[in-house]
Amino acid sequence: MKKKNSMAKWPFVFVGPFVVTYALFYLYPMLFSFWISMTDWTGLNIDHKNFIGLSNYVKVFTDDPMFWKSIWNTFRIMIIAMPLTITAGLLMAVLMFHIIKCRQLVQTINFLPYITMPVAIGLIFANMFNKNIGVVNMLLTKTGLLNEKINWLGDSRYAFIVVILMCMWKNFGYFMVIYLSGLSTISGEYYDAAKVDGANAVQRFFKITLPLLRPITVFVLVQGAIGGFQLFDEAKNLVSGTGSTIVGGPGRSLLTIVWYFYDTSFQNNSRYGYGAAIAFSMTLIIAIISFINMKMLNRKEE
Amino acid sequence: MKKLTSKIVKGFVILLVSCISFIPFYYTIIMATHSTDEVLMGLNLLPGKYLIENLKNVLHSQYFVAFENSLFVSILAMILNLLVSAAAGYGMVAYQFKWKNVLYNFVLLTMMVPSTLGMIGYMQEMRAFHLGGSLWPLVLIWIPNGFGVFWMTQYLKNSLQIELVECARLDGCGEIRIFTNIILPCIKPAVITLCLLIFLWSWNSYLMPLIMINKADNYTVPLFIQTLGDEHKTDIAGQITGLLIAIIPLIIAFAVFSKDFIRGLTEGAVKG
Repeated sequence: MKKKNSMAKWPFVFVGPFVVTYALFYLYPMLFSFWISMTDWTGLNIDHKNFIGLSNYVKVFTDDPMFWKSIWNTFRIMIIAMPLTITAGLLMAVLMFHIIKCRQLVQTINFLPYITMPVAIGLIFANMFNKNIGVVNMLLTKTGLLNEKINWLGDSRYAFIVVILMCMWKNFGYFMVIYLSGLSTISGEYYDAAKVDGANAVQRFFKITLPLLRPITVFVLVQGAIGGFQLFDEAKNLVSGTGSTIVGGPGRSLLTIVWYFYDTSFQNNSRYGYGAAIAFSMTLIIAIISFINMKMLNRKEE
Repeated sequence: MKKLTSKIVKGFVILLVSCISFIPFYYTIIMATHSTDEVLMGLNLLPGKYLIENLKNVLHSQYFVAFENSLFVSILAMILNLLVSAAAGYGMVAYQFKWKNVLYNFVLLTMMVPSTLGMIGYMQEMRAFHLGGSLWPLVLIWIPNGFGVFWMTQYLKNSLQIELVECARLDGCGEIRIFTNIILPCIKPAVITLCLLIFLWSWNSYLMPLIMINKADNYTVPLFIQTLGDEHKTDIAGQITGLLIAIIPLIIAFAVFSKDFIRGLTEGAVKG
């Protein structure tokens, strides 16, 4: 009996550090943030905060066009960039699957963007798409494809295209590698049987590969959505890399949710109370969207 | 014949796509070897002769300080996270206890919470601890990490031999020593992968340092890089060289450990 008692403490000794530090550095700050979100606290009047109930939330949902614009911007980028990136990653994985030569090299090269510092990615793209000295404009004008230089990052429509390209460039290799590991789990027998039945390559892709890769696609979608909702570093530095100080870039078209949260909470008079309310509101919206998404994906499966 | 053409087409597409992936890096490397005047003058596709000079300019700035700060943060974050994650994973796999399933589901849940949620509270908490503006908040935030615990739990579930633990116990080995001397060496592959990922994430982390650090002495590499973009563009070549130095350590680490990196980042996809 005594031995049993002395053993009982050990699991808690091992999981304890995680639980305690999580409570200390995540859970408590979240509860604290939630309380702050119900006050009018700002950085200008740091010693003074009044409890104002849910007023901040009412304002966020009913009287803050910028909040909805930032949600729409983030969503718009994701809805265009994700299908393109996923399709490209999948097609490339299928192309590469039977090629053994240089495979490791190709994988590594295409994976590099994914691990590159996001701040650097933003600045590199700002450089490449710079109106006057950027390589993109120079190539396009030198080859005669363009007569006039495009102000890529000064116009909201073009800036949107650049962000899409940037997101695709960054994530494509990651999706490709995931699909490659997914492809290796599909048994070759399926393909042999289909060949015997006379199915061509396109049919085999749509009838065998795609359905069997479904779990991978769901995973990629979830990963892409998590990353997409967090988009901030690249977008902010893409804009500031051109020397612009406009929050959200041209026409605020690149103002993402996290950027709006950052700008409200830590720039702009540091409106902590309102910023915290934005953080909780956006988490709520993300949770609802993910929930609907999951329901839809599950229904399709049935 | 038909097979050969299809092979050539495939190879060509793969080559083209890989080139597109590599072009921004190539462009950055090329720009870093030119002087600012050359960069301003126009298109260069071949390396110039100014690399050494650019490197000298960058290294004379505050770069070293930022680099040291980033190394301090990332190495500490990596070690502390590893110890906490491995211990928690071991605790959840090797022992039976009440709340075990609750805890496991809680770990899964923590992976889905956006990092911005508690950020304002965390900042105020760190101020109350008198750590505001120092590098410690950037380290502490990495100690508990849902992914780390999840990763260790998954690995140990598949590889832990409970007989080994029991034998060691019979030999009179203490629980802590079993963990540090027997378990940790056995799970080396999982340890390497987790270390790489935590290093990668903390090294690239931007928003947290942005709100926590307010003086240049404590800048981490992403913050320093960002100021390169903000300043009046007098030394463009220098800025680009700075970018290059910021991304190269990870590229080298990746080239050496690419298999571990890829395995860590794609884990979960295949296992579902």
